[in-house]
Order: sequence, then structure tokens, then C-alpha cells
Amino acid sequence: MAKQVVRPSDKQPDLPIDKIVLTEKPDDEVIEMDVLFVGGGPAGLAGAIELARLIKRDNENGGSLGDVEIALLEKAETLGEHCLSGAVVNPRALRELFPDLTDSDFPLGNPVPKDSVYFLTPGGATRLPTPPTMHNKGNYVASISEITRWMGEKAEELGVNVFPGFPAAALLVEDDRVLGVRTTPTGLDRDGGETANFMPAADITAKVTALAEGCRGMLSQAYQQWQKISSENPQIYALGVKELWETTIPLRSVIHTMGWPLPRDAFGGSFMYPLSENVVALGLVVGLDYRQANLDVHGMLQGLKEHSLFERYLAGGELVEWGAKTIPEGGYYSVPSRNHGDGVLLLGDSIGLVDVPSLKGIHYAMQSGIYAAKTIFEALKAGDTSASALSDYDRKLKNSYVMKDLKKTRNIRLGYKDGFIAGTIKAGLATVTGGAFPGGRIAMEPDADVEKVVGGATPTATGRLSVSKVDGVFKSGNSTRDTIPEHLQAGDDIDQATAEMYVNMCPAHVYEWVDGGLRINAPNCVDCKATDVLGPRWSPREGGSGPKYKRM
Amino acid sequence: MGDQLKIAVLVKRVPDSEARIKIDSGSGGIDPASVKFVVNPYDEYAVEEALALKEKAGEGEVVVISLGADSSQETLRSALAMGADRGVLLKTENAPTDPFAAAQILAAELEDGGFDLILSGKLAIDDYHHATGIIVAELLGLPGVSAASGLTVESGKGSAEREIEGGVEVVDFQLPAVVTCDKGLNEPRYPALKGIMMAKKKPLEVKDVTPADSGVEVVGLDLPPARPEGRIVGEGVDGVAPLIAALQQEAKVL
Repeated sequence: MAKQVVRPSDKQPDLPIDKIVLTEKPDDEVIEMDVLFVGGGPAGLAGAIELARLIKRDNENGGSLGDVEIALLEKAETLGEHCLSGAVVNPRALRELFPDLTDSDFPLGNPVPKDSVYFLTPGGATRLPTPPTMHNKGNYVASISEITRWMGEKAEELGVNVFPGFPAAALLVEDDRVLGVRTTPTGLDRDGGETANFMPAADITAKVTALAEGCRGMLSQAYQQWQKISSENPQIYALGVKELWETTIPLRSVIHTMGWPLPRDAFGGSFMYPLSENVVALGLVVGLDYRQANLDVHGMLQGLKEHSLFERYLAGGELVEWGAKTIPEGGYYSVPSRNHGDGVLLLGDSIGLVDVPSLKGIHYAMQSGIYAAKTIFEALKAGDTSASALSDYDRKLKNSYVMKDLKKTRNIRLGYKDGFIAGTIKAGLATVTGGAFPGGRIAMEPDADVEKVVGGATPTATGRLSVSKVDGVFKSGNSTRDTIPEHLQAGDDIDQATAEMYVNMCPAHVYEWVDGGLRINAPNCVDCKATDVLGPRWSPREGGSGPKYKRM
Repeated sequence: MGDQLKIAVLVKRVPDSEARIKIDSGSGGIDPASVKFVVNPYDEYAVEEALALKEKAGEGEVVVISLGADSSQETLRSALAMGADRGVLLKTENAPTDPFAAAQILAAELEDGGFDLILSGKLAIDDYHHATGIIVAELLGLPGVSAASGLTVESGKGSAEREIEGGVEVVDFQLPAVVTCDKGLNEPRYPALKGIMMAKKKPLEVKDVTPADSGVEVVGLDLPPARPEGRIVGEGVDGVAPLIAALQQEAKVL
């Protein structure tokens, strides 16, 4: 009997570009800004801070820009609440952004004490030599939630209008020019009717709109499709599920693992970092090009915690926070050919500035924000924010260490598409040849086009260290209103095999197969976006919905 | 069209009810690190009610007043973003935990303000005193109505509904008066983007205050004891008998 397979893209609706790219005139109540950053992560905040400072300095030196209103929209209720990363942070971009501060002024936690890499089997762990890309000397274990909260304060001190709680739901355009964005309305009931505290969508326009929405940003995707911007490879993604534990035994090392509990035809690994003396961050990250339809990242993380390498730290500890997020993994060949346009720039994870072999993206995101700010500043001074005036951003990015780093490791992640063993050999060759092996680009297909074989089982656990998906959602701080309109759009006639793939994929128990149909528990959603890559399409909900991460 | 109304609303900065509270061993108070602070939810009902009354009257002023550290400016800005006209921060790093001492400072500020109505939440979710607003009424010699879940104001008179055991009590009173607000009074509005923009430019006056010595001292704070882990006694119909047995013999509630 032939194996039954599901191809996620067969059941995935297209991005509804006509509902996201709006040609109608902005509302009469429009809020007019000079520059608008969409997204309060490291990219958008670095951009807003750098731009505010350049303008301030220019005005102090007799420049003629005068008051420039900079706004930053963030969909979470408070900055940092939708930010999630490992994270081991390279402080390079923070140092450039705050030349007057030292590392100890940054909310960066502990310097990395030492790196340990292991290959796991169900009962054992073999220490491996740390690959050159994974040396973390000089880097810090930190929480991206804390970093962005701190950057938000810096931005506000510089006069940036920071608006948390306002997701951007559509781009306002005229011909090819981006005029601004429209926010989501607030206070709608499940059927889209207005409740007592309904607040309509607001339109915000600006001379330049910088899209820094993070991984799988909806407006960024829509802009790229609308403008037919492509990349050599399609972007590919991974899903990470992360937990914070208070422990009684301090961890003295940054740990990465490969191997178990992942099947050999999946790419990924786990991490455990000492965030502070008694708090560890641990998680499991798996490429969404996995081949087993019922692969469940959250479930595997539960199994992983019972491995002696982790259990010895977690036993007697307590789960403090839980969260999940997708990561762009395509690297060099997936960065779009153009990241500027008429009145618009695209930053950070929105364009996939992540280097998988070193597991870094935060400083690249910040760096893209700095380049965006410098470009916007020059454009404002010249009074020209057209595509050609903003094209300098791509030039800056291309000549920077960001793209040079990504180029050096361009084929390492891609080599794993045929499984762990072939991937490890190719990664080794690519590393020793400084990226020259295999001599060209390894072509990838979109994750949703990779067929998944129905059946099989991945290791999980239900022991004392385990958390159910529903308990995880609670620990993410998610308190989304139950009566909110559904923000996930599934394809027609979802069959059981596809539905069960969704059920296993989603770490937040959004999907269930009930009475022969797909049930969507949309309020559970923690906006990780994995669903947008492989399943029903995601769109932003009213402000403040979703998780409320504190130290993720 | 009605009368012009000048309304004061007392608002307090409190930890979010979803925050995971830790006790700071040094100060004996709660550890503010990684705790999100919000406008006391009952005070939000008060702000919303003040705005709605002003809108109905057609004219007037809503002044939001907070007692606390500099960080309470954020709380006032939130109320200004909802639509209040101006804010006053009675600033002290040592805000009293004793409601009488707090009420004395608030009453001194309100005394000559010429307010028709003073609103506050019925309680603050951090200390649960249910007292400050009513003590303010007493200190000012004004009628005080607690825990209003309905409020109308017309021609110098007010009428409030209070939910009591098994019914609703209706209280009529003369203005000026102090009313503390309960859940059910209204649905507080979300601040609009435009409102937040405008709030940045609204006047916010900061006045230093020194609380009087309080007769009350907080000796210590303790977290509630951890609850023992739950246990599944059985599933479906099979669970009924062991559940009844456990409730009778262990919990002794049947």
C-alpha cells in the first residue's frame, strides 16, 4: 500500500492581498506622522531610536528638519509581550546604537559562560566539538522581551510615539507608493458586530513606513507579493517552543543539542541557557519542512525535558513561562532581492535576517533598523522618499557584515533538507570551505510544498515535568477575549489527515478534529505564525490579544 | 443638554491582576521587577463614567488625580488617553498604605477644586480596602455612595444604584458628592490612537506631598500557601462513588 501523504499547500488559502493592500483613500480622521515603524521588536525599535537621535543631533547642529514625528506600532499590549527568542545575543548592534553606554548598561544578563554541544540518543548524550559557527565568547544570554521593553523606554525618552496595542492590518497605498497603514478595529464580537466599547480602525500615514513585523509579517508578505519581489530561494521556517524554568541547581553552560528526539528526516535541535542564577530558558526548534505529518514540537519538548541532560536541572524546579514562535531559516538565498520601495522599507525577520548556523538574528535585526534610520534620515533631508531615494538601504545592507555573515553560511541549513546525516556532512564541508561548498545554491521549495507522510510517532511525555498545550497557553499569559472574531482562515474541505497535521503542528491547541470536521479554538493562538506557513492563514487580532511574555 | 459638570476621578496604579507577585525580602513590599502595572480596573469604571456624564452634559471638565510615585504619571496618561482633560499627580515615594492617610492627602487637594462630583473605584485591587473614596467623602463633609453599579446626574442631584443581597438599592443624593464605582456600571472604552497622541500634550501637574504619620503599619506580607496538587479520583460514572467518599471523609464538606 502506498504511503498516504499530505501536502500542506494543497489546502492553504492564498494571502488575501486585495484585503491587505488598500487603494482607498485614508480615513478623514487620519493621523499624519513623518515616519512610521510597524512592529516593536529589535528592528523597529533600533530604527526608531537611531532616527530620533540623528534628527535630534541634526537639529542641534542647525539642521532644518525641525520636529519630525516618529511613530511605532506594536500589536502586543505592552512592548516585549510578543517577542520570543532563545536568546544568546551578540551585542555588536546594541553597541553601535548606544555608543555612550557599556555592555553592563544593557539588559543583557550573563556573559555566556561556556558552550557545550551534544548529540542526543534516547538515553545518552555525546559531547561534540563546538562547531566554529556556534562559539559564543563575548555574547550574552538575554531575554528579548526585556531588551525590547528597555529599548522602548529609550525610544520614548527620545520622543518617539510608541503605540503598543495597535496591530497593523492593512497597507494604505496609492499607485506603487505606500502611504501608511490601517490598524485593526477593537471591540468586535464573534460575528463581527460592534460591542459597547467598539473602536474603529485608525489610519496612520507617513512619508516612510518601515515594516518590521517580524517573522512572517502579514503586511510584508503582502507587499512582496503585490510588488512581485522574489528571492533566489523561497523563505523557509522553523517552529520553536520555549519554556522558562525556575531551578534550584544553577546551569553553568550554554547547551545545544542535535539528534533525539527529532526524527532523522527533520532539521532542528534544542537549547538550554542560564538566564539568571535560578532561571533557565530551554526550547526545541524544528524546521517546518519536516516529513512526518504528526510531528509535534511541543510534544517532543516535553519528552526532551525527561532526558537526563535536562531533567537534572529541571527536577524540583517550576515552569514560569511558556511560548512559541517561528523563525525564518532560509538565510542568504531567501533574503528578497529588494527591501525598499516607494515610501517603504522592510527590516529584520520580515526579510529573514537570521543566521541559522550561529543561531543569531537579533543583532542583524537591530542593524537593519540602524541602516533603515540612516537611509530615512538622508531621504527626509533631501525631501525625497521615493523608491530610488530609499534604495540606499539595500546597498547598505548588502555591503554590511549582516549579508556577509549570511553569505558565508549560505548552504549550511539548506544541506539538511535531505536529512540529518547528509546534512551534517554537507554542513561540515560548507564550514571548512568558508561557504564555497557545494559550489552553488542548494535549491529549496516552500515548506508548505514538502509532502508529509501520514503516521509515525514522535517521542513525547506526560510525566511530572510535562505541560499540556493548554497549560502552556495559560503560562504564555494569553488572555485573549473568547468572543473575538476568528483570525485564522482555513482552506475548504479540510480532510482528517490534514487536520491532524494541524493539530500536531500547533503548539497552542488551536486545532482539533471533532465530529468529522476541523475545529479552530482561535483565542488559544499565541501568534507563533507556524499556521501561516503550513496551515490556515493568520491575520492580526485586536490590540493586546495573544501572549503576554515577560522574560521570553 | 444638561449642566456643566466638573468631575474629579481618583485613579491608582496597581499591579496587573495577572502578574505573578513576589515579595521583596529587602523592603517587605512586593517586588516590582517584571510586574506589569495598570490602572486599577475599578478606577477605569470611574473614568468611563465621568467621561460619559460629561459627554451627556455637553460641557464640563474631567480631572484625574493620582497619589503615588512618579511612575503614576503613566496611570494618569492612560486616563487622559481615554479622554480626561487634565491630570494631577500628588507625588510621594512613600504613598501611604493606610486609606485614612491617603484620603487626607486626596481630600486636601479636592477641597477647593469646585468639583460637582468625585468618583473613584470602590476598591483598589492591590490592597482591597474599599475605604479611601468614602473616607474622602467624610473628610469633605459630602454625601458618599459606595459601590455604585448605576449612576444618573441631573440638576444638582444624583441617583445611584447599588447591588445588594437579592436586589438593587437606589440612593438619591445632592451634589457635590463622592461616588465609588462597581463593576457593571459601564464598559470602559479603549483609548484610541488619536486619544493617546492627544494625551501626550494634555496638562499634567505634579505636586509634591508629604503623608502624615499613619497609625497603621504593615508588619509583613506573605504569599498564600501553595495548594496541594489535585488528584483524579476516577473518570465518568466510576468516579462518582470515590468522589463522594473523598468529599465526606477527606474534605469533610458533605
